[in-house]
Amino acid sequence: MLSRRSLIIHLSTTALVGAVAVRAQPAAATDKTAKIGINLPFTGADAHDAELIKDGAMLAIDEANAQGGVAGYKIEVLQLDDGTATAGQYDPAQAATNARKMVSDKEVVAAIGPQMSGSGKAMSPILSQGDLATITPSSTNPDITDPKFAGQYRPKGKAIYFRTVTTDAFQGPNMANFYADTLKVNSVYVLDDSGAYGVGISDTFQAQAEKRGIKVLGRDQLNPREADYTTTLTKIKSLNPDALYYGGVAQAGVKVVKQSYDIIPKVLKGGGDGCYGAEILRGASFPAAEGWYATIAAPNVLENPEAAPTIERFVKKYGLQPENYSITAYDAALVILDAIKRVATSGKEVTRGAVRDAIQTAHVKTLQGEVTFDDNGDVQNRVISVFRIVKDDKYPLDDVLHQYKYIGVAPQSS
Amino acid sequence: MSDYGVLLQQVVNGLSLGAMYALLALGFTLVYGILELINFAHFNVFMVSSFVGMWALEFLGISGQSHVLTGLALAGTLAFAFAVTMIAAGVLGVAIERLSLRPLRGVRGTAAMITTIGVSYILFNVILLTVGAGSENYPNPLPVVRWQLGEVTLELKELLIWGVAVALMVALHFFVSRTRLGKAMRATAQDAEAARMMGVDVDRVIVTAFFLGSALAGAAALIFGLYYNYTSFIIGYTAGLRAFTAAVLGGIGSIPGAMVGGLLIGLIETLGGQLIAVRWTDVIIFSILVLVLVFVPTGLLGRSAPTKS
Amino acid sequence: MAELEKPLIRIAAPLFARISPRLRARLGIVLVTTAALLFPLVNQNDADIDSAANALAFAALALGLNIVVGFAGLLDLGYAAFFAIGAYAYGVASSWQLQPQWSGFWEPFQWLDFVTRFHTAGADVVHFQVSFWLMLPVAAAIAAFFGVLFGAPTLRLKGDYLAIVTLGFGEIVPIVARNTPSVTNGAMGLNGVAAPQLFGYNFGVDATPYYYVGVALVAFLILISQRLKDSRIGRAWMAIREDEIAAAAMGVDRVRFKLLAFAIGAAFAGATGTFYVAKLQTATPEMFMFPVSVMVLVMIVFGGIGSVWGVVVGALVLQILQSWFLEDLSQWLHALGRLVNIDWLQRVELASSIELIFGLILVLMMLYRREGLIPASRPVPALTVNEQTAQAVRGGFSGLPDLGAVDHDAQGPLLDITDLTVRFGGLVALRSVELSVPAHAVVAVIGPNGSGKSTLFNAVTGFLPAHRGNIRFVGEEIGRLPPHAVLERGIARTFQNIRLFPNLTVAENVMIGMHARLDIGPLGALLRLPKTRREEAASRERALEILSLFGNRLLPRVDHLAASLSYANRRRTEIARALASQPKLLLLDEPTAGMNPAETLELADQIKSLNRFGLTILLIEHKLDVVVSLADKVVVLDHGEKIAEGTPDAVRRDEAVIGAYLGRSAAFARV
Repeated sequence: MLSRRSLIIHLSTTALVGAVAVRAQPAAATDKTAKIGINLPFTGADAHDAELIKDGAMLAIDEANAQGGVAGYKIEVLQLDDGTATAGQYDPAQAATNARKMVSDKEVVAAIGPQMSGSGKAMSPILSQGDLATITPSSTNPDITDPKFAGQYRPKGKAIYFRTVTTDAFQGPNMANFYADTLKVNSVYVLDDSGAYGVGISDTFQAQAEKRGIKVLGRDQLNPREADYTTTLTKIKSLNPDALYYGGVAQAGVKVVKQSYDIIPKVLKGGGDGCYGAEILRGASFPAAEGWYATIAAPNVLENPEAAPTIERFVKKYGLQPENYSITAYDAALVILDAIKRVATSGKEVTRGAVRDAIQTAHVKTLQGEVTFDDNGDVQNRVISVFRIVKDDKYPLDDVLHQYKYIGVAPQSS
Repeated sequence: MSDYGVLLQQVVNGLSLGAMYALLALGFTLVYGILELINFAHFNVFMVSSFVGMWALEFLGISGQSHVLTGLALAGTLAFAFAVTMIAAGVLGVAIERLSLRPLRGVRGTAAMITTIGVSYILFNVILLTVGAGSENYPNPLPVVRWQLGEVTLELKELLIWGVAVALMVALHFFVSRTRLGKAMRATAQDAEAARMMGVDVDRVIVTAFFLGSALAGAAALIFGLYYNYTSFIIGYTAGLRAFTAAVLGGIGSIPGAMVGGLLIGLIETLGGQLIAVRWTDVIIFSILVLVLVFVPTGLLGRSAPTKS
Repeated sequence: MAELEKPLIRIAAPLFARISPRLRARLGIVLVTTAALLFPLVNQNDADIDSAANALAFAALALGLNIVVGFAGLLDLGYAAFFAIGAYAYGVASSWQLQPQWSGFWEPFQWLDFVTRFHTAGADVVHFQVSFWLMLPVAAAIAAFFGVLFGAPTLRLKGDYLAIVTLGFGEIVPIVARNTPSVTNGAMGLNGVAAPQLFGYNFGVDATPYYYVGVALVAFLILISQRLKDSRIGRAWMAIREDEIAAAAMGVDRVRFKLLAFAIGAAFAGATGTFYVAKLQTATPEMFMFPVSVMVLVMIVFGGIGSVWGVVVGALVLQILQSWFLEDLSQWLHALGRLVNIDWLQRVELASSIELIFGLILVLMMLYRREGLIPASRPVPALTVNEQTAQAVRGGFSGLPDLGAVDHDAQGPLLDITDLTVRFGGLVALRSVELSVPAHAVVAVIGPNGSGKSTLFNAVTGFLPAHRGNIRFVGEEIGRLPPHAVLERGIARTFQNIRLFPNLTVAENVMIGMHARLDIGPLGALLRLPKTRREEAASRERALEILSLFGNRLLPRVDHLAASLSYANRRRTEIARALASQPKLLLLDEPTAGMNPAETLELADQIKSLNRFGLTILLIEHKLDVVVSLADKVVVLDHGEKIAEGTPDAVRRDEAVIGAYLGRSAAFARV
């Protein structure tokens, strides 16, 4: 007689057995495959951006596979999610676990990601221990590749955290230079969104602004989960700065854009790469978004005519517009594919150590120009591009390519 | 702007914020008064309702803030949107009560409250997984009208908030104190057993409380969307925490307490942000709450301590 | 599969049943421990071991919250605050975050190996490197301090208000962490948190040593939880959880024990925080916010609130569900989707729906299985027919065990109440009441409903403050004492509406009566010294002795939950509980209410025999025949005032008394 109790026992046994069985399945090992790990926050507030970044990387990988792979190696992808529902966004603990997963999987020779620097801090030591190189298309916190913290983030010494994007060590200060030189700003109020990225970039912006003689009238932190920023904006209004700088991502950024349009319409407004993207256009929309400046930590690729065919292929394959970090992800994938090719054609075994060394010595022509890395893993082409939102009625209002007008390169600090 | 001017403006801001918190706190406190139940789901009913309001306005063909209406068209549109949102919210609240809380009535301890946490998570994640994490641009037919009174700027939407909040609070007060069902609710809040013995249909009272409370949340949600031109899956979290604090500060279960608490929290938020810094707002609010509760354990206008402990 | 299992079960089950429950439990523990120790050797996957270590951290958190919510019934919605405090305590003490200038002041610390001197381009600075092993207990202590700090404002608050205040603290701590970047590096997270070292071996980023530390930590915390639960401390907590008023009336110092629960619960989280951060080597404020507090709550609800092993299982299952099972299930569904060519099946990612699943689990568990996976209370065997029947027996108690009632042959009354006035706002509940209870007497207080009789009891036992007047017991003024202190002095009571601890057994209920007479503290409970074990055994024996006074009625039900008893038996248990506290004066509030005539007479006789053996009794009764047979003196209250006093016969005939009971003329109709 099947009592309810025994039913429960049966079900749980089956579940347990099933779980163990699935785990115990050996990975089908075909010869001549190389795996690339992709670790991005597919859960939570940044999921949309994560998808676009993944799409950029997959475009390169799928195209390579369609042509028979790289030097005879078929490229497989191990996709991992470092976002958790509990955190509502990226979760450093999950990122650490994912790093271990990639290191444990012997077939993984390189990785793309993470998207967020908070994850990078947790992952870097583990990747270094496992000699597994990763190229991030968007993580801009400078600490991770700073030689000062090398003992913490690359205990084995060699560079492991490569970037196809430059860091906030440049993004913030170069924008401050732009504010001083081009916009001729005399006073500024700085806001951040209390996140790891936002605080970092606002700090570097503020330090440089002060050095350039711009008066920083105040600095405050916004809570991205709050809806109402009128208090801060009213306070800013009463201080009457020439300009506002917002460091942070779109979750708070959309509200800053919307509400500052109401309260401080005449003030010049700008921000970092969190202010660049479809999220801002869709969420804040016009007229609020009109006139906002934004930077990206990479050269402007989307308008480069050489990039047009790639962009077309992207749009055709995914039905979505790429963002600039889709392109840096595409470039990251190109670098890895090139590294694998060079190792394979030199006759050496395609191991992660060899791939890491090949990445270190890369000279790859990508959409953002030629990519080379310094000894820390940072990309050597340190260009910060400045954009301004200018409404173009001929195109859909959330079309990033056409609503963000390229202004130029932000002045380097001397 | 002079120092005095900016303070005055922050007071105006605080009263608008406070009105929103008060509306949200009211619905929450109504249920608490009757069931002595902390309903965590209330704040995500609020969030879901704001999406319902958005879809209702989009259904009428309005999108973004450029479709401005005036006069009768505006009144009709708003009436429709409020009606749809409030009824949908009310129905959702009643459904939650029926499905997850009614079976637990009479179970002592924290079971019911924990269930509301579960329901809250379910609502939150259903929206997150279906609509996504992005910020939605709210359709808004209101014209942007500003008045300058000295150094203070007043907007039409602020009058909207205050108008609707006051109207709803007055209506609620009238309902609770003058109508039969309202009297039945007050009786049930004081002693459910005795009320039942006096012929009050306690079930009906509870359903009414949930419907009304959720409908108020729905109204607050639509106002929120129209005020900020924005909604997203996360709005229940912070607004909910602040409204919850407002209800407790004023004394959970007390309707005037919710109103007072809401306004107080709104003012603390804006004045605290102005005089200290916005990043300390939550710390300030909770510290004040703890201090108040240490000296007045039932909240500012609260009744005697909950009896069920 | 059912076919294979049936014969197996048929063979194994009788073998299994022959092993005693105690041995079964021990065997289970050995099996689990062995499995836990062997796991990393069997599964060499570093990521899996890391997930297991994370799961163990959450199991430790669940154990800590179980003490606060499960044992003591204090709903803490901000538990992650203590997790954060422990984490940052270690993070700051062992990273590159703080770098004050070097000076002579730091030399002794360098000698103790807490800091080193670090040469930088500028001046020399201090580098903190306190040992992980030292920080485990230190962080626990720091967290415990904050547990007391955060718990103190909540003591006067009832359940729901307490929840919001704890939630507030849970919000405040990560915000403070974020806003003080000089100490915590704010939102960007700590850099360079040191990994633990053991005899020169640095843990580094290898997951296995952390896993073993996690196992040890959880095992240790399980031991502590179990020991506390089965001790005077645990019983006091559960008494507070079940009925705070009755707990206080039985001598439990609520303030002390609530703070103790907060402190110990916080300490668990503090130690776990240190472990977690050492493994992750960074800490950001986002790791410690409200969703984490809720997740731990979900885990203990799922596993079984109050059950030590239950919450561990709950935590492990939910964590592993998140990190292993759901991903595997997603892969499985993808494969299924490819098989049957359904698109969304191929793309579904269950891991991102984990919170939705948590929500569903919470709701379903509350609706269908509130006790959780492993309930805290154990099932009891059914009673035999003999055990279920009992006859009312006249004559009272025989062979009374030593109740410890002191022979009070000093002069003067045992309890002396003068000019007692108690007000509730404008309402005067007692007005200038005078009452004296001579030692070894039985005094009855009677009066119509609402006359203030229970208020009198509440004032004497410290539940209500007196507006005016004195209450002296054995010459000492007790009017200002809290209820547990009144019990300590020797006054025990029962309640009109019977306040037992419903989810505790009869034996446990009675043993709580002894709370004030034992002196095992938390340390004693943890160490289980021989002295402690002797006291525990003696107190259980004593409880059984007292219960045996009631013959067949309570003894067979010793391990039954109090909630399952009949009304009359609950009353008897309540009296037994009061007797267990060795009172000099027993306050009985309508003890025979709800009993049939035979039972009433039985209880009256029992009360009389208690009195004959030295106990002084103050009795509220409505049944006048009981009053007449028992009382030496009767006091009559009406509308808060004493209107008559004397022998039962005299009072019975008093005109004022008759008027009060039977009503005055129509012109003075009572409210």
